Amino acid sequence: MRDVAFGQYYPSGSFIHKLDPRTKLIASVVYIVAIFLCTNYYSYLACFVFLATMVLVSRITIKSVLKTVKGVLFIVLITVIINVLFYSDGNLLFGWWIVRITDAGLIFASKMAMRLIFLVIATSLVTLTTTPMNLTDGLENLMTPLKYIKFPVHDVAIIMSIALRFIPSFIEEIDKIMMAQKARGAAFDNGGLIKRAKALLPVLIPLFVSAFRRADELAMALDARCYNATDKRTKMKKLTLTWRDAVAAIVTAVFLTAVILLRLGLFGLLNGVL
Amino acid sequence: MQIVVDHLSCVYSEKTPFEKRALDDVSFCIEAGQSVGIVGCTGSGKSTLIQHLNGLIKLKSGKVTVLDIDLSAKKPDYKALRRGIGMLFQYPEYQLFADTVAADVKFGPQNFGMSKEEAEEAAREAITLVGLDYDVIKERSPLDLSGGQKRRVAIAGVLAYRPKILILDEPTAGLDPAGKREMLTLIDSLKQSFVETVITVSHNMDEIAEFCQRVLVLGGGKLLYDTTPEELFYHHDVESLGLSLPHAVRVVKTLESRGFSIPHALTEKDLTQALLTHLGGKAHA
Ligand SMILES: Nc1ncnc2c1ncn2[C@@H]1O[C@H](COP(=O)(O)OP(=O)(O)OP(=O)(O)O)[C@@H](O)[C@H]1O
Ligand SMILES: [Mg+2]
Repeated sequence: MRDVAFGQYYPSGSFIHKLDPRTKLIASVVYIVAIFLCTNYYSYLACFVFLATMVLVSRITIKSVLKTVKGVLFIVLITVIINVLFYSDGNLLFGWWIVRITDAGLIFASKMAMRLIFLVIATSLVTLTTTPMNLTDGLENLMTPLKYIKFPVHDVAIIMSIALRFIPSFIEEIDKIMMAQKARGAAFDNGGLIKRAKALLPVLIPLFVSAFRRADELAMALDARCYNATDKRTKMKKLTLTWRDAVAAIVTAVFLTAVILLRLGLFGLLNGVL
Repeated sequence: MQIVVDHLSCVYSEKTPFEKRALDDVSFCIEAGQSVGIVGCTGSGKSTLIQHLNGLIKLKSGKVTVLDIDLSAKKPDYKALRRGIGMLFQYPEYQLFADTVAADVKFGPQNFGMSKEEAEEAAREAITLVGLDYDVIKERSPLDLSGGQKRRVAIAGVLAYRPKILILDEPTAGLDPAGKREMLTLIDSLKQSFVETVITVSHNMDEIAEFCQRVLVLGGGKLLYDTTPEELFYHHDVESLGLSLPHAVRVVKTLESRGFSIPHALTEKDLTQALLTHLGGKAHA
């Protein structure tokens, strides 16, 4: 069960691990924008190459990257199926009742699937290479301008870091409770959907009970240590940009430019092909 | 032989930066009727070991046979296995889930295929066995009970399907001294009448010395000793393993170092007896 914990920090000390969290966050936003700018297969290829390079550079095993995809495979499949069945433009390949399978539909669905998969890999690459503490630090820093509209940036950041911090604990907890119920003969992996969902009840209830207990204890501990009693907190580790971040920024900019050029069809020689 | 563990090894998160060898070539047998303690400092692999015994962790290397069920087989009969081994986890009260005590205790029996009436009967028996009044407590929510009561209900939930082997992971952790005593007496009485074999994981050496005939000592995933409490505490250096000595043993050892020679006692009762004999007084049993 602990292995299912996709997207959790995976230390390998690579170039990407050493980047400033802000760089990674901005780069991932840029990448997501780029994915949605993609129109033709060449731009998708560019996205793929960029992402594959990042995965290789990060020295994270392909297995743990693919595991993150596995988590959303269901959503991808549903999206693809709906798009294939109901996309109405293009040449009809097969039609029955309200179902229309068209060539354009197939192409659109495959692009949709790629977008989703790239998106998931890119975002999980950020969490895989950044410790939760660093990640929230970066986010807090990036959100600072929002303070001017009275947005509680610091509180949101601390809520996020607590949430991230507790994910592994809850996974461990689920693991333990599941084992205990299995020891009492509970079966989680057979029967239909409803039977399975029902079988989860003996796991979910103790989990929620313990989540509330922990939240209570944590709140008490924060109070006991005078959390938020002072108005200005300083950081133990200040975020600093290095030459690595400059390199990453340039690479990302080049990538974005390439995708935009591909979208505008400015690579004339490609125009004929597409 | 009820339990045969042969060259069992276990590696967590294999081939990742988190790789951890939790068990390393562990072999031992346990016969029906024994009362075995498992000790070792924290992280030595005790929980991992007992979780292998009822197939909660998939066997990867080595061979484990429990109640004649071979766990290295392709599809071991987990249901029969788990019915035969009652396993109580650390802090079992956090695993109670049903809205009434009765429903929680009946969970196991019903999973193992008992009918409603049989389960009801089994629950009544188990709850009485752990020293609670079934008719008073059955409709209450497990979450409203006291810590000690919760733990009793959790044990009843395991006893209700009448396992042959009972495995307890730190059954007294977090209880007050009186609660600890009660728990130990309960386990001991179960051993006499209800289950055949009891395996207890514990950090409390006094408990081990008093209630176990045999101790397995784990250290860094390896089985370091497999011996009697007397042998372990008097002839091996357990303190270097990060374990403590039972109080009685400490007293005897101190006295020995001062030149007294008294029998090797393991419990306070034995020690008192030994001291009285030494002093020439008469013991009242
Ligand atoms: N699911 C898991 N995934 C990865 N590592 C684990 C897992 N469970 C245990 N470990 C590691 O394996 C080692 C042995 O753990 P185990 O829980 O068996 O120790 P223990 O002897 O029961 O300790 P304690 O006395 O604290 O309960 C520890 O180093 C632990 O960190
Ligand atoms: Mg343990």
